[in-house]
Amino acid sequence: MVSNDKEKDLQQPQILSLDDDYAIIRQFIDGDKSAFQILVKRHKEKVRNIVYITMNNSSLVDDIAQEVFITVYRNLKNFRFESQFTTWLYRITVNRCKDYLRKINVRKIFSPLEDGYDVSDSSISTEENDVSKLVMDAISKLPTKLRMPLILKDIEGFSYQEISETLKCEMGTVKSRIFRGREKLKEILQPLERELMR
Amino acid sequence: MNKDLQTRELLSAYLDDELSQLEKSEVEKLLKTSLELRKQLEDLKKIKQLTQQIRRMPESPFFETRLMASIEGQKSETRRISRWLPVTALAVVTIGLMIVLKLNPDLVNDLWDEQKEAIAGFYKENLQPVLFAANLTNEDIFNFAFNNELPLDNTRKQYLLLGYDDSGKEFFEIRSANEELKRQSYNEYISAMNLNDEQKKTVDSIIGSYSKALEAQILVNDKNTIAINSNLWNYRKAIFADLLVVSEKMNKTKFDRIVPAGISNAEKMIVVNTIEKLKNSYNDQYIFVTPDSIFADTYEFNTQLFETQLKELEKNIEANEKKLKQYALSIRFDSTLQTVDKSSNINHSFRIAIDSNICRVDIPESHITEIRIADINNIDPLIEQATNNIHFYAYKVPKVERTESRIKIEYFDNDSIHSYELQFDEYDIDSMIESRPEFDFYSLDQLRQVKPFDDSMLAKYQFDKDYFDRYYSDEEFKEQMEELQIELERLSEEMKNWKIKVRKEVTKTPRR
Repeated sequence: MVSNDKEKDLQQPQILSLDDDYAIIRQFIDGDKSAFQILVKRHKEKVRNIVYITMNNSSLVDDIAQEVFITVYRNLKNFRFESQFTTWLYRITVNRCKDYLRKINVRKIFSPLEDGYDVSDSSISTEENDVSKLVMDAISKLPTKLRMPLILKDIEGFSYQEISETLKCEMGTVKSRIFRGREKLKEILQPLERELMR
Repeated sequence: MNKDLQTRELLSAYLDDELSQLEKSEVEKLLKTSLELRKQLEDLKKIKQLTQQIRRMPESPFFETRLMASIEGQKSETRRISRWLPVTALAVVTIGLMIVLKLNPDLVNDLWDEQKEAIAGFYKENLQPVLFAANLTNEDIFNFAFNNELPLDNTRKQYLLLGYDDSGKEFFEIRSANEELKRQSYNEYISAMNLNDEQKKTVDSIIGSYSKALEAQILVNDKNTIAINSNLWNYRKAIFADLLVVSEKMNKTKFDRIVPAGISNAEKMIVVNTIEKLKNSYNDQYIFVTPDSIFADTYEFNTQLFETQLKELEKNIEANEKKLKQYALSIRFDSTLQTVDKSSNINHSFRIAIDSNICRVDIPESHITEIRIADINNIDPLIEQATNNIHFYAYKVPKVERTESRIKIEYFDNDSIHSYELQFDEYDIDSMIESRPEFDFYSLDQLRQVKPFDDSMLAKYQFDKDYFDRYYSDEEFKEQMEELQIELERLSEEMKNWKIKVRKEVTKTPRR
């Protein structure tokens, strides 16, 4: 099927050589502000997607992704060219998501009756539950520690090495958390097996 | 770690092609001999395939533009003028238009008025009282007075919700529910007040007497129009207050629990005056919600004419019954409008927020007809207290009082009031979170998920039983608990500095 293949191609992670991003960052540091826009264009969709799946809430995506790129914009001049730009970018993304998740969780405790409905998309949507939504909901039930490596591996296609650099933890830990994330996910999805097989 | 676990972990890494050559061949050897392991690998594969099916976030073509705008916005305002250059051409056209309008200032207004009349006329056709069209019962009217919700059609899946925002301004929402809106408020109220059949009949007849008055307040038609009289908010208050006055007479002891101070004579006078004035006043200001616009306009609903028609209809009730049952509103909101900046005024008068299932309309003051009803706002505290207490006693919804220096949570159970109080002098959640970035607050997540009117909600306030299951092994659970303990100790140290005190207390309510 041609169209499917085409779609698959689009979903493949764009493999960019180190030099590509480095050259653009150098242009930016030399005063060419338009270079920043090239960086944004190149990486925004991946950043937005990580935010989307981590937060399980589409309405927060653009706000968080904007904050990520604003942080990048402010600190890009001090970029040290020691690691890949993307490792740094995704680390900022992951940390920003964690901040939001923690804030949301704490706020929920202190305002138990104030909100009429939940912040996640599912409470408002009338759309039929589909596999994608069910799996996203299941992922959002994982502890952040297990959720992040799993998303980076299975959805974004990172290698264990890249994940360990992004999350600043040992390769062994990454390996074990991905495995535990999958086991946990299996457990959460078990009761939904029938719907998933439809 | 035990061997089995280690092997399973290796399987997961094998699936990701992240093993060394040696490990890989070891795993493959094991796979050849063990059916169990092959099954486990299949399971892991399935999970991986499922996660890979997650739909991606649709692209955002305006992302860079918005981002650059907010970066630019934070920078100084120099170089602004150069940005005006590309719009010079547009400005020329605008100036041209301004000259035309200067010569003929009424041109746009005339055009607009002409169109407006035509549009409004179309949507005003054949409006009927929702009470009749949706076949509403006394219970629905009670629910409206009590919960601010009124079903809008026979399917009972679309309903109207009235409310007041923080500044006291009126708003309404039209909501679509997944399920039929079923409230038992009337029955709950009867049992909370311990009313006998005779008394229930009296309450019934009072509600019945309002249904006629309410008739002209909300109208609907087959073009999916809903017309809401701007007096509706006052009506709701009046009906509720009147029911309270009646209840006090019927069962004083039970009523005292709901309004401990009783209803003062002054308040009773306000209620009587309000009802009198509302019933005798005539207000033709309606807010029209239609599939493509929301506007305020006058409309004269002829109750007498409607009743004559209704009598005609009743003669052939059987023939018409089929037709009546088919009536169902189908308000659908264009959820793409979600992206519209929620604070912007879409049509300059009403502030509208739209989600896939909710359309909320904030009403500017000028659109609520100010019938100077004898201080109706003075009975607000009475209504608020009664509503909260009925929720508290009849539905066991906890009370949460929050002031700058404390949070107090109370709930009612088996005639006892459980009360928790958290006091603090200075409190800032954001800085609290930022001061301990490593603390995972996830575990506290289950404390919430409270829906009003859900009896099981109290259980959800308690310790999450699934907490343990989230962790993979006993050791890890222990490790997490130790981390949590250290964290809590640190927190309590800090709380000492903040002068926070938590007090727990259980009091018995006096039995009467």
